[in-house]
Amino acid sequence: MLWSGGARRLAVLATLTCAGCAGNGAGLDQNGQPIGSEGSGSNEPLSANLQSIQDNVFTPICTRCHIGASAPEGLRLDAADSYSLLVGVPSAEVPSLLRVMPGNPDESYIVLKLQGSPGIVGGQMPLGGPYLPQASIDVIRQWITDGAPNSSAMQTASRREDGQTFILTGTAPLDGARVPAPLRQIIVAFNHEIDASLVNDANITLERIDTSDTQALRPLPLRAALATGDPTVIIILPRIPLGPGSYRVSVRGVGGGALADVNAGTLGADRAFAFAVAALP
Amino acid sequence: MKICDFRALLRHALFVLALLASAAHAEPYLAVQTGLKCGQCHVNPTGGGLRTPFGDVFAQRIMPHDHLDTGADTWAGEINRFLSVGGDVRFDGQYETTPGSASVDSFALEQARIYLNASVIPTRLAVYVDEQVAPGGALNREVYGMYWSASHEWYLKAGQLYLPFGLRLQDQTAFIQTVSGINMTTPDQGAEFGWEHNAWDAQFAVSNGTAGGPEVDHGKQYSGQLIYVEPRWRLGLGANFNDAAAGNKSALALFGGLKSGPIAWLAQAELVDDKSIPNSGGKMLATLLEADWLLAPGNNLKITSEYLDPNRNVAENAETRWSLVYELTPIQFLQLRAGVRYSDGIPQDNAEHVRLYFLEVHGFF
Repeated sequence: MLWSGGARRLAVLATLTCAGCAGNGAGLDQNGQPIGSEGSGSNEPLSANLQSIQDNVFTPICTRCHIGASAPEGLRLDAADSYSLLVGVPSAEVPSLLRVMPGNPDESYIVLKLQGSPGIVGGQMPLGGPYLPQASIDVIRQWITDGAPNSSAMQTASRREDGQTFILTGTAPLDGARVPAPLRQIIVAFNHEIDASLVNDANITLERIDTSDTQALRPLPLRAALATGDPTVIIILPRIPLGPGSYRVSVRGVGGGALADVNAGTLGADRAFAFAVAALP
Repeated sequence: MKICDFRALLRHALFVLALLASAAHAEPYLAVQTGLKCGQCHVNPTGGGLRTPFGDVFAQRIMPHDHLDTGADTWAGEINRFLSVGGDVRFDGQYETTPGSASVDSFALEQARIYLNASVIPTRLAVYVDEQVAPGGALNREVYGMYWSASHEWYLKAGQLYLPFGLRLQDQTAFIQTVSGINMTTPDQGAEFGWEHNAWDAQFAVSNGTAGGPEVDHGKQYSGQLIYVEPRWRLGLGANFNDAAAGNKSALALFGGLKSGPIAWLAQAELVDDKSIPNSGGKMLATLLEADWLLAPGNNLKITSEYLDPNRNVAENAETRWSLVYELTPIQFLQLRAGVRYSDGIPQDNAEHVRLYFLEVHGFF
């Protein structure tokens, strides 16, 4: 016997007390971030916009697992990554469904996983519970119904630009990102309501980049439209889902008939972003 | 398996177990209490999943408080010398409180898993499947082929696998499991080389680094551990590096076990630096200390204390968690677990102050 009975009991008791103390939270927000830091959230109650969902659901609950380089299914839900890895991105478990399909919560895999709906692979989220109350899920559904706008990026942009200049605030996929094939839709978000009459394939172009030495651009047919319920977001649907390869999306921001907001404000310059689509292993 | 073969196996198992100072139950503390390596009771050399015939006999003769006689035929998992099956089912009743939220009480099928091992060349080449069949749709956990050397000193496996890195606990929500991102919910696709020599045990794996998601970059994840196992104690070192486009992650774990009379101690401390987490928030520290007290055959008291510093660049943000779980194994293949789990953290985050009370029925074979 290595230890006496008394010493053993003391040691077990010590196990209960040696974990150390929890932090007192001084100077931190409700997500444990220093108040006023870049990652600090707000104390606003949950509402149907990404910033609020991030602060009330993704950051305090989901990022306990879905964070970092080894996040489950490659899904990172921190504030910097959640939008680009959710909206318009095929789920890893059921690739035929997008994690978030703007305008359609019933076809958005994140909603199915949060609800524990039939057809999901694996368990309901958050894994092992407690599961989100239906009221919280309904708020997320409403955000998706509204077109799943990137409000956090827009808020950042509007702070930076004082809300006056019409600017592109976010894309999915992100510029330089690598996403799994097939890619069925691309999302471009702006800070102002867009003039719907200017959303067309003359102002929005999608091209495949020839990866050979020529780096030639081959235009691809597409359909572009404002997101249902959110006139600040353009949904680009390639006629044929994008397979493995490199692609570039361009937005014409100057010249006659260029994309503009409802107040005729233009981007002032053409905008473009590129990304790669990779085959599923 | 023929009855005579089984009896020989049973004699062998009981002989080995008779040499051990005490009986044991499930999870890594079982290995610490018996002084055995994980691969003694599990087909997977790094633990978890399908039990070996030795593990099945152990579960029937040593684990339970009482053994219900099944006559000459005893379950050993082997359909024949080529094919083995097994499974785990966990069903929970939970009551959970979180400040500021309504309490939640629920019954839930936590997990049902089926294991299949086809030893197409017995003792040398096998195809292994670990499939979660509930809740939700079927989900591959592990699927790999494994080749053993003739001396059984090394093996190579390839497919989807749990990564070797520290203690492989049953509780996938433990801080040391979530902080590293390496646990049984995040198998990865790759290859693993294992080496076992006397008291030494080592594994090294190369995988996509996407935790089951599709590969999105050219970087790979490297995971490894080296463990020294003595009958009364063991000490291990685990390391992980994930070369990811979103930011590299590195992790280092020191872990071990000690047997002191009826108590098996488990401990792990790990440091993680994940550069993919924004705002310099990726430097983390997680620890676990667990005591498993075998009060009587089939009766185990598990006490666990955990500590987490979720961002070492920020002060006063630490979290703690205490668990007290009583595990009763009244008869073979059936375990009843009752426990409480208290979380504590910064006062402004209600989610860090959860109180969980649970009852669990665990069936396994």
